[in-house]
Amino acid sequence: MRTLSLHLFEILSNSVFYGANNIEIIVKDSKKENIYYFEVKDDGKGIRQEDIEKATDAFFTSRSTRKVGLGLALTKQKAQQCKGDLEIESFYGEGTKVRFWFAHNNIDRPPLGEIEEVIVMCATMKENINVKYKHITDKGEYFFDTKQIRKILEGVEINNIKIIKALKEMMKNNLDEILVNE
Amino acid sequence: MNLQELIQVLNLKVFTCKDNLNKDVEGGYVSDLLSDVLADAKPNQIWITLQTHKNIVAIAQLKGLSAVVLVKGLEPNENTIQKADEERIVLLGSEENSFDLVGKLYAFFQESKEK
Repeated sequence: MRTLSLHLFEILSNSVFYGANNIEIIVKDSKKENIYYFEVKDDGKGIRQEDIEKATDAFFTSRSTRKVGLGLALTKQKAQQCKGDLEIESFYGEGTKVRFWFAHNNIDRPPLGEIEEVIVMCATMKENINVKYKHITDKGEYFFDTKQIRKILEGVEINNIKIIKALKEMMKNNLDEILVNE
Repeated sequence: MNLQELIQVLNLKVFTCKDNLNKDVEGGYVSDLLSDVLADAKPNQIWITLQTHKNIVAIAQLKGLSAVVLVKGLEPNENTIQKADEERIVLLGSEENSFDLVGKLYAFFQESKEK
């Protein structure tokens, strides 16, 4: 994937696909600590202990339409090639936490990309999905919570083209204040 | 073009499926970004790359590629070779770099088109 956001999207797609109603995302972009860190915690179906190791194997997938499941495998590969890694914690029936990180200064580390596209898409992919997103940089923090948005919108579903566009713009403007240019 | 012919003419090393080389090659694709190959490679193409990670076998299988050629003398590890043999994916090797190898490959394709 050409950007870190696309790797995040792969993980978020899994969360949504496997039934998550609540997703918490943490992104830490720190030159000081030389880390670009992502964490996705969901309350979806979860992964059986014996399957966790296989989950990052390209040839293992629980989807029935294809033989290979590549999202986790490619992200893990990229992370390891950038002096990072990917780890999964999960309990079947309870949920999953996927953490992956890259050395910030590694020359092969992809740029962030348009993370607002990915987060907003995830929040509006399914009805009534709750997304909490926290983005931390050396310059500051940004916090996004669909519950707060829904309160402000007073009943108007966020799955609405104008609102989606507005949310993306709002998120991008807020992130621009804390992101440090590559 | 025939894969066996290409192997001979370009002096490629064969890492897997030594008995499964009699197949057609309908062009080639060069990329070291797996997600890019996933998006744009076509069936029966030969893929030239310096990526040796086991995931190349999954990609080759998913896209129905004729073979994967590792450049610059790079070799797949035991794990990757085992998986490739299992999945019947042809892994080849060249001492040359991508630019030189692809240049030659391209010339052969043009030549065989003209015949």
